Parts: sequence; structure tokens; C-alpha cells
Amino acid sequence: MSVILEVVCPRLLGPAMMVAAAIIVKGYGDVGDGFSAGVVVALAVALRYVTLGAERAERTLPVLRYAPAVAVSGLLFALAIGFFPILLGEPLLTHYPRSGEPVVHVGTLELTTAVAFDVGVFLLVAGSLVELIHQLTRLVEEPRP
Amino acid sequence: MLAWSAVASATVAFIACLAGWLAGGGAVEVAWAPTLGLHLDLAFDGLSALYALLATGIGALVFVYGAGYLPWHLEHLPRPHRDAWRFWPWMVFFMGSMVGLACARDLVLLFVFFDLTAVASYFLIGFDRDRDARGAALMALLVTGVSAVLMLVGAVLLYNTYGTFSLPELFERAESGPTTTAACVLIAVAALAKSAQAPLHFWLPRAMAAPTPVSAYLHSAAMVAAGVLVLGRVHPLLAKSDLVLDLLLVVGLVSIAVGGVLALAQDELKQILAHSTISQYGYVVTLYGIGGATAAGAAALYVLAHAIAKSALFMTAGAVTVTTGESQLSRLGGLGRRLPALAVVSGIAAATVAALPLTLGFFKDELFFSAASEHGRLVQVLAVGAAALTVAYIGRFWLGIFAGPLRARPRGRVPPLLLAPVAVLAVLALVGGLVVEPFARLAEDAAEVTQAGVVDVAPAYHLDTGTANVMALAAWALGALVLLTPRVRDPVVRAFGRIGQIAGPRRWYALSLLGLNRLSDWAHDKEVRDLRNSIAAVLVPAAALIAIAFAVTPTRGSYDVGPVALRDLPIVVLLGLGVLAGVTAARDKGRLQPVLALSVLGFALAGVYAMVGAPDVALVAVLVETVLALVFVGVFARLPPTTLRRPRRRARNAGIGVAAGVAAFATIWGALSRPAATAGVAAEHIDRTPDAHGGDVVTVILADFRGLDTMVEITVLAVAVVGVASLLSRGRAW
Repeated sequence: MSVILEVVCPRLLGPAMMVAAAIIVKGYGDVGDGFSAGVVVALAVALRYVTLGAERAERTLPVLRYAPAVAVSGLLFALAIGFFPILLGEPLLTHYPRSGEPVVHVGTLELTTAVAFDVGVFLLVAGSLVELIHQLTRLVEEPRP
Repeated sequence: MLAWSAVASATVAFIACLAGWLAGGGAVEVAWAPTLGLHLDLAFDGLSALYALLATGIGALVFVYGAGYLPWHLEHLPRPHRDAWRFWPWMVFFMGSMVGLACARDLVLLFVFFDLTAVASYFLIGFDRDRDARGAALMALLVTGVSAVLMLVGAVLLYNTYGTFSLPELFERAESGPTTTAACVLIAVAALAKSAQAPLHFWLPRAMAAPTPVSAYLHSAAMVAAGVLVLGRVHPLLAKSDLVLDLLLVVGLVSIAVGGVLALAQDELKQILAHSTISQYGYVVTLYGIGGATAAGAAALYVLAHAIAKSALFMTAGAVTVTTGESQLSRLGGLGRRLPALAVVSGIAAATVAALPLTLGFFKDELFFSAASEHGRLVQVLAVGAAALTVAYIGRFWLGIFAGPLRARPRGRVPPLLLAPVAVLAVLALVGGLVVEPFARLAEDAAEVTQAGVVDVAPAYHLDTGTANVMALAAWALGALVLLTPRVRDPVVRAFGRIGQIAGPRRWYALSLLGLNRLSDWAHDKEVRDLRNSIAAVLVPAAALIAIAFAVTPTRGSYDVGPVALRDLPIVVLLGLGVLAGVTAARDKGRLQPVLALSVLGFALAGVYAMVGAPDVALVAVLVETVLALVFVGVFARLPPTTLRRPRRRARNAGIGVAAGVAAFATIWGALSRPAATAGVAAEHIDRTPDAHGGDVVTVILADFRGLDTMVEITVLAVAVVGVASLLSRGRAW
């Protein structure tokens, strides 16, 4: 059992990222949104923690330590998308292009500011959850004297 | 460097405010959340000019003073010099929020800036971080912050009735009546607490734990002025109710008396000044209570003259302490010959507070006396008494430091950075005593906003036996009498101070804080210590509320049993699986089995969501279930084996669980049996989804239709993560 887990879990990260990307790309037209995508990524990371232990998980994937930065930049990005219409004299969270205006398509993805907002949510959720996993496992693994 | 950039910013702001005033002001209005009636409505009118000029002008001078004082203060404690970073940013932030408050023309905006000043003052008063300073900071925050909530309640009352938070619109629409009166009382209480008026005055003397520049700024010209600023701003509303005006009059007069008498009883220099501030803002509140054009003009000039003089006196107290090391009146004396420059400039400031001729202060009392005379004999007599008290305590303060035998020897000259700001303010007070027109014009502009009409402020020296002059002479004579008879005076004021200590509001504050602490400890004990108790604390009230709703609302026709077709079979199977899993989770004794059973239950429900056409909900449910299962497994793997004991009081726990389950069952059955009669917003959301370039309604709702909610929620999520990080690893992010 644990051998299977140890072999499979580290290799799940790539597919999980793919699924997350797919959820975001399709999200505005189909089921799913930035929140779900963020949770999917965090789940894959959590699985690594469970199988490898926190110390090894973080050593083998050093990029995890940027999770807080990712969370903060996601929040700031989403807030920026939400607030910038004020500069144009529109209410908060007015999305562009406005309804009825033409949209640039990349495949099925429609490029609107709403999708960008969702990307911000994704970054925040993924970053925050990884940060929480880190904090909680640290607490469990190195109990205070 | 930091200090001087603060000085520079204050100076630039002062020049900008001065230019704005001379240019006649202006206004900005930005819709903030128009559906909630919230607007960023900022105007630079006469009242804004008065308070913004005070906040920035006196701010600049106090910052100069602080540049000299803070290094000494930090060395004295001792603390590292980089702690200046905990000081100057808050000072500048305070100045900014004060200017914002001065310009706000919207009740919600007033509330926001009001609280911003409270937050800044919390950190400034608590700068020394000892027990005393922390208690003082908390007290200031609680007294002014809790009462500020009353202002918000008042604002919402007015919004409910008149549909706007905007003050100019409220002045037009509001009619006198119980609602307006109630709202005005609430707003007035908030303002009075901020201006340290009796019986909520006790935070100000305690706040003297702050470093002297903070007192010189916040507790003379800014923080306490914020209260009377709000009174001046909403005065056209207050004037619709005689009750509110009478309340202001009484509170003002009581505060003058309480502050004045207690000022005579104090020994600590800053304590004398703090009580004097209570008394002096009592004058302004009294004037707003009197109402009318004369009083409005007098109030504005009073604030101006008092702020100039009082901050000079605070800075004097600090300078005396820096040069002699003493801060008590009984250990000081005779410094006049050793520190002549400080004696002269602070003498001018003291004369301004005492309203002696040739200073700006004379005119503030002249106008005060005229307004009081218009209001009747009683107020006139009380006004003379108030002015006499002022003369007495300010005389005691200045003479106690600079006259009499030398007690504490100064260790050198007063540092120039500590002397210069006092001198500038003294010169300003003298100039005002000779050429009063610019000051009167500023007061006039401010009063016209307060009065919402034309006001003529024309103070001048009249060498005759007019009412104001006679009253002033009587006040000086009476004040001198109190000053020169310490044997009669001291027992009386001490007895008064003793009564205040035993039965005063400060004691009530301490008792209520203690009571709240006990209550919270008790609730914590009951609820948090036992996990089952805290779950019961949620479940039982929920079940009880639903039972009440069940009992009082008609239930006929609300509980249908619909037909079950063959194509519903998967749902039935999934629900059956859920029921089985639920029973297993409740019965199983191990650790992992109940968790896995709960997961099965969750996944079964997710399957049901997917079947009944809510794929988004199903996706989130699957993800959340997986996370929960993982967390449970992770935590259980590391718990010591004995941690999960068999619960005691199983019957009680089972009863609570059944009650909550039945309540939830009833609710959901009822909700499902009777779909909402009105189409609601759901249909509209679905219709509009293509307009928003989207295909999935849920996502479009999250990102677009209710995007504001999402924005707030993600902010809350980020704050929660910060909270976890600071609780678990002292704020280290990784």
C-alpha cells in the first residue's frame, strides 16, 4: 500500500496542475471556478505531505515556500481587478468587455476581466491552503517543548 | 530623518490646506457603494479648513518638538532608536485621518475616520508599552471606540427614515421628531466621549501615559477636537431637537466644572493640563448647546484659541520635565529666572487659556460671555464661574512652575527644538490678540457651516462697561481669589477628587471591564473546554429556533411527499448509502472508521448534488470532503492512542444529536416541499449569464453578479491565514 502511494503521489502533482488549469480555463463556461482549481492543487500537495512527511515534501519541492507570496499576490491581483473600474468612474467589479461587446477567444477560453479575477482567487486559495498545510504539519511534527 | 519627513509632510499639508481655504475650498464626491448609499463625499469648507489647519499646523510644530523630544524619551527608557518607526508613521497617519474627518460630509465616512483616529491614538498612547500605557491605550480605544458605534447606530437610524447618509441631504430632509432626536443623541454621545466630556471624561487623564508630543497633539488640538468637530458638523441636525441642545448644555457645564475642579487638585503637570482640556472642551460643548449664530462663532474661535494655547502648554510641561527631570508641581518652582524664555512664551500661552487681554484668548471668552448672556441669567452666572476656575488652575500651573522658590535645578538650557514650537504658538496667540481679523474670519467660515447660515464674528476690544467686559473682570477677580486662598481651596478640591475616585465613572469602567472578563471566562469554561459542549452550543439553539418556527408558522401543505419514479433510483440508492454511513459513523467506536463513514456520507451527498443538477456544488463538495478526510487521517495518525476516550454523558449527547437532526430534517423537508413561489433572482441570474460572457451560472455569480461578496470573502480568507500564521509561528509566513 505505502509503496504504491510513495510511487503514485509525487507523480500526481503534474496531472493535478493540469486538472486545475482545465477547471480555470473551462470554468467560466462550464463547471468549476478558481476556488475548486485552488483546492485541487492544494490536495495534490497535501497528498505529498501525507506520504512523504512534511520535511521531505518541502525539501523535494522547494517551490512550495513561495506559497505565501502566491497567496498575497493572488489577493492583490483579484482586488486590483475588482477596484480598477473605480478609476474609470464605474462601480466596483465592473467587468470588461461589457456585455454585448466582442470578446477575444483563445480556444474555448474567453478573455474577460472576470476570468482574471478568478485566476486571482485561484492563486489565493492554492497559496493559502498550502500555507495552512505547512503551518499545521509543522505544529504536529515539531511539538513545542 | 524620519521625524523631519513627518515635519515636511505636515508643513506641505498645512500649506495646501491654507491655500485651499484662501481659494474658497472645494468638494469631491465619488460613489463608493451607491446601492448602499455610501459615497466618498469630501468637502473642504470653512469647518474643514479650521480643523485641517489645526491638525496640520499644530501637527507640524508638534512634529518639530517631537524631533527633539523623542530621542531623549527613547534614551531615557531606554529603547532602541529604531522604535521611532513605531511613532512617526502613526503620528502622520493620525494627521491624515484627522484631515479626512474634517472634510467628511457623510455620516458613515465620519464614523470611519473617527475610528481611524481612535486606532492611531491607541498605538500612540500605548507607545511606552508598560502596563500603565497599555491600560491607558485600551481605555481610550474602548471609551471612544464603543461610543463611536453609537454614532453608526444613529446614522443607520437616520438612513432608515430618510434614505441617505449624506449630511447636506439630511439637513434638508430630516424633520424634528423622536427618530431624529434619538439619532442625534447617539451621535452626540459618540462626539462627547471623543471630546472627553463628563461622564466619559476619565480616559483623557489616563491617556497622559503617552509621550508628551502625543499629548500635545492628540489631547489638545486633534483627537479631542474630533468630538466637537463632529458636533459642529452635524449641528444643523442637532438643532432640530431642543432636548439634544439642552443635553449638550448640561454636559458642557458639568464638564467645565468637573475638569476645572479636578485640575486644581492635580499635582502632575500633564494631569493638570488633561483636566483643563476636559474643562475647555466643555466650553465648546456648552456653546453648541446654547446654539445660534453667536455661539457657533464663539465655539469655532474657542477651538482655535484653545488648541494653540493648550498644545503650547503641553510642550512646556514636556520641556520642563526634560530640563529638570521633574514632572510634579510640588517639586517644581522658581524656574522663571533660570529659564526666562520658556517662562515668557508659556506665560503667553497660559494667558491665552486664562483669556487675558492682548492675547487671542481674550476674544474667545468675550464671545463666550456674549453667547452665554443671550441664553439667560443662570448660564451667564455659570459662565463667569467657569472662566474663574480656568484662571485659577492655569494660574496655579504657571506660577507653580515659574514663580516661588527654586526647587528643582534645571540641568541646562531648554533644547531649542523644544522651545521653538512653543514660541511660535505664543507669537501666534499674541498676534491674534492684536490683529484678530484673520482668526475671526476662519472662525466665521467654520461657524457658517455649523450654523448653515450667515455668521458674523467680530470680536474687538471695547473699553466700556459692556456685559462681556464686566463678566470678564468678575471672572478674573474670582479666579484670583481662588488662586490666592489655597487653604480654603485645597480641602474642597481634594474632597471632590476623593468622591470621584470612589463613585466616579472610572470606577464604573473598571468594574464593568472586570465583569465582562469574568463573563467571558465563564462562557469560555463552559463552552470551549469540552468539544462536545461547544458543538452543543451551536446545535441546541439551532434546534430550538427551528422548533419555535415550526410551532408558530402554519405547516399545512408544507410537508409533501412527492412521487418517486424509477429514474430517481440512483438518488435513492445514494441517499440510502448516506443514511447507512451516518448510522455507522454514530455507532462505531474506533477512530478511523467514523471518519471514513463520514467521508462516505459526504461523497454520497455529492453524488446526489450531481444527479439533481448542481454539478458546481458537487465538485466543491467532493473537494471539501477529500480535504476533510485527509485532515482527519493526518491528525489521527499522530494523536496519542488514549486521546479519544469514550464520551461521558452519552445519553445527553445522543439527545442533542437527535434534536438537531430532527430540526435539520424538518427544515430541509419543508424547503424542498415548497419551492420558492417567486422566481427570485435565480431566474434573472440565469437569463443574464450569457450577457456576462459566461456559460456557468455559478461561476458568473461568484465572479461577476456577487463579485463583491467574493472579494470580501477572499480578503477574509487571507486574514484568517495571517491569523493562523501569527498564532502558530509568531507571524513567520514559512
